[in-house]
Amino acid sequence: MTTRKMVFVDTSLCTGCKGCSVACKAWNELPAEKTKLIYGYISQDSTTPTTWTYMSYHEKYENGKMHFLMMKHQCYHCGDPACMKACPVGAISQTDSGYVLINQDKCIGCGYCVANCPWGIPKTDETKNKTYKCTGCIDRVENGLKPACVSTCQPGALQFGDREAMLQTAKARLEEVKKSYPKANLYGENLMGGTTYVYLLLDEPEVYGLPANPTVPSSLTFWKDIIQPYGGWLIPLAGAAAIGSFFSTRLINAASSKSKGGKTHGH
Amino acid sequence: MVTKKERVLRFSGSARFAHWGHTITFLVLLISGLALFSPSLGFLAAIFGGYVSAGVVHRVMAVFYTIIPLACLIANPKGFVEWWKDVFSFGADDIKFLMVFPLEFFGFPVKIPPQSKFNGGEKMNSVITTTSCVLLAISGYIMWFKESFPIGLVQWSYPIHDICMILATTMVCMHAYLGSFHPGSGESFWGMWKGTVRADWAAHHHAKWYEKVTGGK
Repeated sequence: MTTRKMVFVDTSLCTGCKGCSVACKAWNELPAEKTKLIYGYISQDSTTPTTWTYMSYHEKYENGKMHFLMMKHQCYHCGDPACMKACPVGAISQTDSGYVLINQDKCIGCGYCVANCPWGIPKTDETKNKTYKCTGCIDRVENGLKPACVSTCQPGALQFGDREAMLQTAKARLEEVKKSYPKANLYGENLMGGTTYVYLLLDEPEVYGLPANPTVPSSLTFWKDIIQPYGGWLIPLAGAAAIGSFFSTRLINAASSKSKGGKTHGH
Repeated sequence: MVTKKERVLRFSGSARFAHWGHTITFLVLLISGLALFSPSLGFLAAIFGGYVSAGVVHRVMAVFYTIIPLACLIANPKGFVEWWKDVFSFGADDIKFLMVFPLEFFGFPVKIPPQSKFNGGEKMNSVITTTSCVLLAISGYIMWFKESFPIGLVQWSYPIHDICMILATTMVCMHAYLGSFHPGSGESFWGMWKGTVRADWAAHHHAKWYEKVTGGK
């Protein structure tokens, strides 16, 4: 059994260079996309089937001072992945190291994972009928390399290692950063069963446009743990009742016509 | 006393077209959709050439499934109103029907109070099936065009689609059997196939309705 891995995203060191996004495309052979200027440095505001990690920038004004906050977004590789639960064809699996992967051979592009991911990370290519997201560079990691984004990060805002050790590093760094950013917090340590990408944020998650408490949707739990395993039995039950009735009606009718001397119920 | 040869009209052409159009589209939708309900039913997708083409068939059928009843509603609103008027005139005789129906279903001789055009069970079927089918369509279109709807609505559409499918299919199992091989069904299949039923059957099974259409003769 392999230990759980972790990528520590220290946004206090991030310079917003988008090198992670480029390295991701290079390693995963994803084509560049035509981007447009959305605001400031923002040229992308969501993942796409061919952009698995992107940068977001947030300007926050406080006491006449501007805080320029930034972070990279990608699949969090949850400990308790909602996408995996939602997938109707078992295309999504989880490794012991904590990676959540879509098997492209099994994926049918139904988009159930897209609708149930609390961050809306996976994206479906409607032409190929396949859904894509960050693989965590499982192909590199399993061969002793760091993920592409981590290995390219110039300011050292991304670190990769065993989860326990990385969490220690993250917590020590948080103590440091809190001195200048009192609202700094770790995002992901315990969310969704503990994520593989854990962030040190300089401000509340909402400031970054992130859900403060992402959860597995209750509709998904209701659907997958109650309706599908138990509800469906109502159908064969109705079928069995019909078959039972087919024979019981005829048996009862035969018995009563015998006793009444050939007189049947007048249908 | 009515003779055996006399027949009375029970279902108009548009009602029958709506019924059978709905039957075919529902069954194709059911088979093409069940593949995603449980992994053990995944083999059903192969009938359509795989999951992706099953999805295409499901969507194309969904359009006909929506259009057919709407078109019939527009073509014959009077028949539709008549149907629902009878369904909602749910009285003591309907409750009595439902109480003895489980026994009647399995063949025990029971005394059934006079029924209107639709008996208590048919009224229940009308309500459950129609509600399920309308919700199936609404939740289905939300899932199809999920980018256009709030994410919470999309997430709840999945279990709602499944619940309605289960309810509607359960009713189909009962309804199809009761309308064909159940000894008590008698003429009801022909009512929906040819439109007319034997007058003596109508007098026996739907006495209130029979008296109304024949003027109490």
